[in-house]
Amino acid sequence: MIENTRLQTSYNFGFIDESTKKEIRRKLLKAVAIPGYQVPYSSPEMPIARGWGTGGLHVTLSLIQKQDLLKVIDQGSDASVNACSIRQFVQRMTGCEVTTDTAAATLIQTRHRIPEEILTEKQILVFQVPQPEVLRPVERLENRTRQMHAEADYARMWVSLYESFVRYGSLMRGAGYPVKVNGRYLMSPSPIPRWDVPNLSHAKCLYLFGAGREKRIYAVPPHTLVEPLEFEDVRFRVEDWGGLNCSYSGQGDAFLDEIYDAAGVRKFVVNDSNFLDKLRTGEPRPPQRLFRESQ
Amino acid sequence: MTMVLEVQGLQKTFELHIRGGKRVHALAGIDFAIREGEVLGLAGKSGSGKSTVMKCVYRTYLSSSGHMLFHSANGERLDLAAASEHEVLAIRRREMTYCSQFLQVIPRVPALDIVMEPMLRRGVDRLDAARQVRHVFERLSLPQELWDAFPATFSGGEQQRVNIARAIVTNPRLLLLDEPTASLDVESKQAVIEMINELRAQGTSMLVITHDEYTMRKLAERRLLLSDGKIAEAIYA
Amino acid sequence: MNDWLLRVRNLTKIYGEPDGGTIDRTGPRASTNICSQTGAIVACADISFDLYPGEVLGVVGESGSGKSTLVQLLYFDQEATAGEVLLQAVEEGNANLLTLSGQRKRYLRNHLLGMVYQNPRDGLNLNFSAGGNIAEKLIMAGQMHVGKMRERSLHLLAQTEVPTQRMDQTPRTFSGGMQQRVQISKAIANNPPLLFLDEVTSGLDVSVQAKVLDMIRQLQADLGISMIVVSHDLGVIRMLTDRTIVLKHGRIVETGLTDQILQDPQHPYTQLLVSSLL
Repeated sequence: MIENTRLQTSYNFGFIDESTKKEIRRKLLKAVAIPGYQVPYSSPEMPIARGWGTGGLHVTLSLIQKQDLLKVIDQGSDASVNACSIRQFVQRMTGCEVTTDTAAATLIQTRHRIPEEILTEKQILVFQVPQPEVLRPVERLENRTRQMHAEADYARMWVSLYESFVRYGSLMRGAGYPVKVNGRYLMSPSPIPRWDVPNLSHAKCLYLFGAGREKRIYAVPPHTLVEPLEFEDVRFRVEDWGGLNCSYSGQGDAFLDEIYDAAGVRKFVVNDSNFLDKLRTGEPRPPQRLFRESQ
Repeated sequence: MTMVLEVQGLQKTFELHIRGGKRVHALAGIDFAIREGEVLGLAGKSGSGKSTVMKCVYRTYLSSSGHMLFHSANGERLDLAAASEHEVLAIRRREMTYCSQFLQVIPRVPALDIVMEPMLRRGVDRLDAARQVRHVFERLSLPQELWDAFPATFSGGEQQRVNIARAIVTNPRLLLLDEPTASLDVESKQAVIEMINELRAQGTSMLVITHDEYTMRKLAERRLLLSDGKIAEAIYA
Repeated sequence: MNDWLLRVRNLTKIYGEPDGGTIDRTGPRASTNICSQTGAIVACADISFDLYPGEVLGVVGESGSGKSTLVQLLYFDQEATAGEVLLQAVEEGNANLLTLSGQRKRYLRNHLLGMVYQNPRDGLNLNFSAGGNIAEKLIMAGQMHVGKMRERSLHLLAQTEVPTQRMDQTPRTFSGGMQQRVQISKAIANNPPLLFLDEVTSGLDVSVQAKVLDMIRQLQADLGISMIVVSHDLGVIRMLTDRTIVLKHGRIVETGLTDQILQDPQHPYTQLLVSSLL
């Protein structure tokens, strides 16, 4: 076999070129400085299609260093196809170590979940975001949503919650519940379940959000107040499992998936795969932040 | 006795622009004064300017020149000819009432509400106002079934009684009456004259236009005879 | 006398690029809104008046008179070119509202002003229920209690004679007159001292028009709100207003008590309008 050694093109560390990484980092700094505010960014081309996690990848690849320990989850699972693809891609582009252990990872990229195990000040959680504009359901024009954010003109969002209360008797949103960050900007926390929303407030870790298709980056710095939208007499509530426990670990107090096994029997299983693994090994239960009522 | 209204040199000329600027000289210079509790009658042929005088005082017409000094109950004086719209509205609300010849029919409002309206505007409690109005309706012999009906369907006499009731309940300092008894039968006429005299006893001053000699004699202690926009003579009862 | 509620001085709105002579080249004497030299359009100019608490001011004129522009400027739907607008409630009448920041203007709109548009679509969000529309106004004024908001909505809908069992339906399914009444409920939801009504009955059937006008009269008598009523219809003006200003080609040609304007109009144009009353 003849190997072409003269025109060997190797990728830059982390795939993205250095000036673009610099731009993304600058935007990340701006996002951290204005919690909840959506910062436009270049959103460079990636070898995966838009809508498959390019935003999360942009953030991860701009921040990652050789000594980072990377974890990638998709709907709580390390083993899903997309989580595997992304994890392998980043590993090839950086040569860094990967892990499934939530406590050990330094950089975690996630789609639609916050890990059950508590995150520390040494960790960064990067969210993949499909639709960063929290006001889109009530206003379809971009220049108007920008003005609404600038003037803190958020009444319509509250009305949409009022309408769902009037129609269904509760503040319905299952995923992507709107929150107010640092008392100023309304933000979409990406389609995480209500169970995870209280975890955003006054956390020790840094939360970064990347929306590649829409070209927006935003952030929730540590120790920041994040309040789910609610009324004085109709409050935000997380999912109520009604005392259900996971069929595999026998434990509760975690976000549960509803599955049907091979025999067609309905079971509930802890969604966070690493958390479930730890529960089943019989180790002491990993520390969590549990919220009974909204804070 | 205290002065209520002093009219000096009141002149009114209408300029009709859509008729090529034609001028109609309605009033050529009117002077008179009304004191507290006084009733001044205005008499004269049709077109002599009686209604024009009244409408100028009420500011429905803008006088061309002259002064109309209104002396308020609190001692303040205001020239109605030169006053701002806001000042005139205040006087109309509190101290001066105009009872025109025809009821200004506000469609779809029951008689009771029409008469209550000026009282509510002045802040009188709704139940109180309703009670007072019903009392006045009784005295004017307005049939009870009409109280909640729309005056648009009333006879001339019934409409006139609603009109008078509305003027009476405001208890004004100056009451302008344009043909108050015109469409009334003898009994109603009596009732109206009685109520107006009661008002006068309470201190209300009045300017009255009427063709009816009986009404004029019963109400006005003094009358002005108008002719061609001027006062031809002053007659004392 | 410092008891006025609203004071407007020299309010002007010009589209395009005017020069020094534009204002003189336009107006009722020139019979045009368009400047012959620059092509600039003078929607309204040098509008000045005072409004007192509890008063209803009529603004009457034909197309191109600038009457709708006037209330749009006062409600901050459009930006004025020049002029002063003072509200007693804002820094005791010393702050020109036109120079305030966007956020402060919105605060004033939410707390002190109400607006009813000719087309209910402009004042209502047809994706929300009738109660939701009213709740929007309450939320903008800082109300955050669902129970209290619903109670207030019921009260307002009853006041404007909208069947309360339709509170949770969207106004998309309502008749034109009922949509207008929901709009009125929304506009007065936070008890504004000043309410603008822009040709509110112009698109409606005559019988419906009558009902809505009656209701507005009743509300005004009960609540004592100051209103500015824009209409080309002198019948509406006669029914609702205490005072009136007459606009032609963007300028005030006459101002006076409504009964005086209707019975003793002075300006040729006003006489023409009044004589054209059907």
